[in-house]
Amino acid sequence: MDLDMIKYLAELGKLEFTDEELKKASEDMTSIIKLMDTVKEIDVTYDPVLDNKNIYLNDLRIDEKSQSLETSKLLQNAKNQRNCFVVPKVVE
Amino acid sequence: MEIRGLKIRELRKALDEKQVSVREITEEYLKRIKAYDDELECYITVTEDNALKQADEAQKKIDRGEATDLTGIPMAIKDNICTEGVLTTCSSKMLEDFIPPYNATVMERLDKEGIVMLGKVSLDEFAMGGSTQTSAFKKTKNPYDKNRVPGGSSGGSASAVSADLCLAALGSDTGGSIRQPSSFCGVTGLKPTYSRVSRYGLVAFASSLDQIGPIARDSHDCALILNHICGFDPHDGTSSKRDVPDFTAKIGKDIKGIKIALPKEFYAEGIDEEVRDSVLKAADMYKSMGAELVECSMPSLKYATAAYYLISSAEACSNLSRYDGIKYGHRSEIGSSYEELIKNSRREGFGDEVKRRILLGNYALSSGYYDAYYGKAMALKQLIRKEYNDIFAKCDAVLTPTAPTTAYRCNENISDPVKMYQADICTVTVNIAGLPAISTPCGYDGKGLPIGMSIIGKQFDEQTIIQIADSFEQGFERIMPTI
Repeated sequence: MDLDMIKYLAELGKLEFTDEELKKASEDMTSIIKLMDTVKEIDVTYDPVLDNKNIYLNDLRIDEKSQSLETSKLLQNAKNQRNCFVVPKVVE
Repeated sequence: MEIRGLKIRELRKALDEKQVSVREITEEYLKRIKAYDDELECYITVTEDNALKQADEAQKKIDRGEATDLTGIPMAIKDNICTEGVLTTCSSKMLEDFIPPYNATVMERLDKEGIVMLGKVSLDEFAMGGSTQTSAFKKTKNPYDKNRVPGGSSGGSASAVSADLCLAALGSDTGGSIRQPSSFCGVTGLKPTYSRVSRYGLVAFASSLDQIGPIARDSHDCALILNHICGFDPHDGTSSKRDVPDFTAKIGKDIKGIKIALPKEFYAEGIDEEVRDSVLKAADMYKSMGAELVECSMPSLKYATAAYYLISSAEACSNLSRYDGIKYGHRSEIGSSYEELIKNSRREGFGDEVKRRILLGNYALSSGYYDAYYGKAMALKQLIRKEYNDIFAKCDAVLTPTAPTTAYRCNENISDPVKMYQADICTVTVNIAGLPAISTPCGYDGKGLPIGMSIIGKQFDEQTIIQIADSFEQGFERIMPTI
């Protein structure tokens, strides 16, 4: 797997690598993809009907109010918070 | 009271007959943790004060005559199961200081029974691995040989049970993470049918495959825990509404006439000779007990590891996208823009193996590759399920080795991800097909390391695999680790 592909996948996964890490990731992924290529040896086709026939789309929970977690609990693990989640400025 | 090799039923009797108090037994386990955990590195967090409080509460429950199977039982919990107010790290720097604001459903249920939680035990980072050596904090060792891995990802749970640093534990299993460490550490682990146990509060790895389950001294103890963690949970959309039976109900019943399948691919090249011989010897034992052995084939096994890694990584890269450093988890000090903050937080927070899975998942799902990889893996999932259905049309259970080898040395496979992935060959099909399976010791190799066998059952038929495993255990003499 070439470095451009690794960079593309890293971008999709919001990851960043140094040049050295990229090289190592490229080597690892080349051997991993070789293992994954074994799935190409068999001729099978996915049948979406088979997987979805037992899903009951109307099996929803009753629409009633229930207790949510308190705001303070939801914020307790945020590193930067002022009674809300703080993010870097996104609008100039 | 001697706690080496103690079982839940034995402690239950001793507690109910007031031979020992819950506080005394809890202190015994805490003493053992202090004595041995520095070398074994099972525990990421020991919750001593809380354990003693829970012990006193459990004692009151016993004194009131309200004890159930698990009241006062000292347990360890895998550190990817959310425990309100108690650090839950997933063995990742990403969650190094994460304190869950809520309990996983399994913890709510176990707390209701009055268990004593001794602490949170190590795993491979985000449960991705089979050695517990990808943990950012505690690289757990095998009690049978401290230079060897305990297996993984629930290595902390299995090692702690094996070394009596807890009486039983909870693990989670996405591709073998309960069964393989149980095999390496000489204990019994049960992966329930997908949807039996709520996944609410289990830090998500691959949501269509993840299941929480027990690791204990034997299959009877596993059944007792399973009795109290199963059942419908409105918080988990995939949770089953089926009634929960008594999983101990078939224990002790004759296995005469039970048909046990031996798919030849599980005994082929790549499986260590001592492992193969030991499992086949167990098969002969079943035959002598009146079970019928049925030779069969599972041709899709050849493709199962690749299919598993494609599906699980595709789901993992989606599940891990939530770690952005903003709401919870590691937040980088570097980065003046939103994009930079996210990238730096993930670069610093995730370890190498987690990053590899994210890359693989994105590759399998990306445009131009989706049909060739993810689509093909999903087709293979249907084929594997069909092959199991065909076997279960004629048989009651399937017997296989749990892992191709016994525990390997700590640094042996770590730098070779492909070798690590291939070692999952015996366990992954069970998760792909959503089946229940139990691993229990069936022998020891020339170095004295435990060998595990797996009994795989029909969907929702945990009772039968527990019955079959127990019937073997009754005539099997376990060798305890010398720690």
